[in-house]
Amino acid sequence: MRTPGSFSPDDVVVGHSARMRAIFDFVKVVSRSDSNVIITGESGTGKEVIAQLLHHASSRRHQPFVAVSCALFSENLIETELFGHERGAFTGAIKDKPGRFELAQGGTLFLDDIDDVPLSMQVKLLRAIQNRTVERVGGTRSISVNVRVITGSKRDLKRMVAEGNFREDLFYRLNVLPIVLPPLRDRREDIPLLTDFFFKRFARQRGIDLPAISPAVRYTFGRYRWPGNVRELENACERIVQTCSCGTVRTGCVAAGILFGAGETVAAAPTAGIAAGEAQSISLDDRLRDVESSLITWALKVSDGNKSRAAELLSIKRSTLGDRITRCGLAEPAAAKPVDAPVALSA
Amino acid sequence: MVSRDQIESVLGRIRPLMQADGGDIELVDVKGNNAHVRLTGMCAGCPSAHMTLYMGVEMALRDEIKDFEELVVV
Repeated sequence: MRTPGSFSPDDVVVGHSARMRAIFDFVKVVSRSDSNVIITGESGTGKEVIAQLLHHASSRRHQPFVAVSCALFSENLIETELFGHERGAFTGAIKDKPGRFELAQGGTLFLDDIDDVPLSMQVKLLRAIQNRTVERVGGTRSISVNVRVITGSKRDLKRMVAEGNFREDLFYRLNVLPIVLPPLRDRREDIPLLTDFFFKRFARQRGIDLPAISPAVRYTFGRYRWPGNVRELENACERIVQTCSCGTVRTGCVAAGILFGAGETVAAAPTAGIAAGEAQSISLDDRLRDVESSLITWALKVSDGNKSRAAELLSIKRSTLGDRITRCGLAEPAAAKPVDAPVALSA
Repeated sequence: MVSRDQIESVLGRIRPLMQADGGDIELVDVKGNNAHVRLTGMCAGCPSAHMTLYMGVEMALRDEIKDFEELVVV
C-alpha cells in the first residue's frame, strides 16, 4: 500500500491555468458526493493528489484513505490484494487477511492504474463496486463495504472499451464523475508557479536559503516537454536544490537531458528562398501558400498544437489562424488533442 | 573517427541556453573518438554543473554519434 504520508490540502498548487482552476472548482463540488470518480491523466499529472484532495474535502476525511496501484500486482495477486483472503485459501495463506476494500471501510479507496486490470478481474471488480460487497478469496461470506471508489487511469478508457480491452459495464459504473488532468505541456503557464513552489519546499527541507532562479532556467523549463509531467518537474527541482552550491540556479545546474529537450523545441522558423540565378517563371500565389502553410505547420508544432499560442507566434489573431488553416488544408495534428474532456470541465 | 563538426552540432543544441546564463561548453580537442571539453563562465567552478553536464552530454554524444567513446572534461 502506498502510504499517504502527511498530505495537506495546503500543499496543493492550483495554478493559473483556466483548466486547472476549472478542475479544482469541480473537485470542490464533487467531494461532497459519494459517486464514483474517474481521474484520467498521463503519468505524473497528479491523479493521486486529486484523489487525496477529494477525500480530504469529503465527509469521509476522518476515515481511511487507501491508495493502491493495480499495475503492481499480477493477475492473481490483485484479487487477494483488493478482496483479501481467508486462512488456508492457498499455500502460504496462514491467516485471514482483509483486502483493500475492507481496509478502506468508511473511507475512500483509490484504485490507480485501473487500465492495467486484466479483463477477467474487471468482472469481479464490477460486482464489488455495484453490490458494495466483497468476498475474500477462499471465503463464502459477503462482507459489505462502505467505500467511495475513485479510479485513476493513464489511458482513455472509452477508447479501451472501443478496442475491447476494457469492459463497457465497468466503464459506465466508474465513469460517473470524470476528471481529466491535462499534461503539464498543455498548461505551461503554470510551470513558473510550480517551479517556485517546489524550490521553496526543497530549500526548506534542506535548510538552505531559497536560491535565485535565472531567467534562462525559467525559459528552459518553459520550453521543455516534460513527458513525466509535474512529477518530473518536481524531481528536476529537487535535484537542483540538493546540488546547488552557489545560491543561484543557472542552466549549468539543469540536467543536460532537459537542456537538450528544450534546445530541440527552440526550432527556427522555416524560411523559403529562391536560389539566385533561377530564371523560370513561378506562381507567386502558390509560393505564398507554400510559405504560409509551412509557417503555420511550424507554429502549431512548436506550440504543441495550441492554436492560441501558434497565433501569437505568427502575430495574427486566433480566429484568422483558424481560417488560414482551413484555407491551406492543414488538419490539426491529432496527437496534440487531449482525451475527451468532460462537459463539466470544458468551461 | 568522430569529427569536430559532429560534436559541435550536438553541443550547439544546448549552447544557446548555456550562453544565456553567461556560461559555455567549449570543445577543446577531439582525440580519436573522444572529445575534450571545458566548462567556462559562470558554471566553471561548480562541481554540480560539471557532473550534470558531464553525464548528460556524454550520453547525448553517444546516442547521436555511433563511434563516440568518451567525454573528458579538462
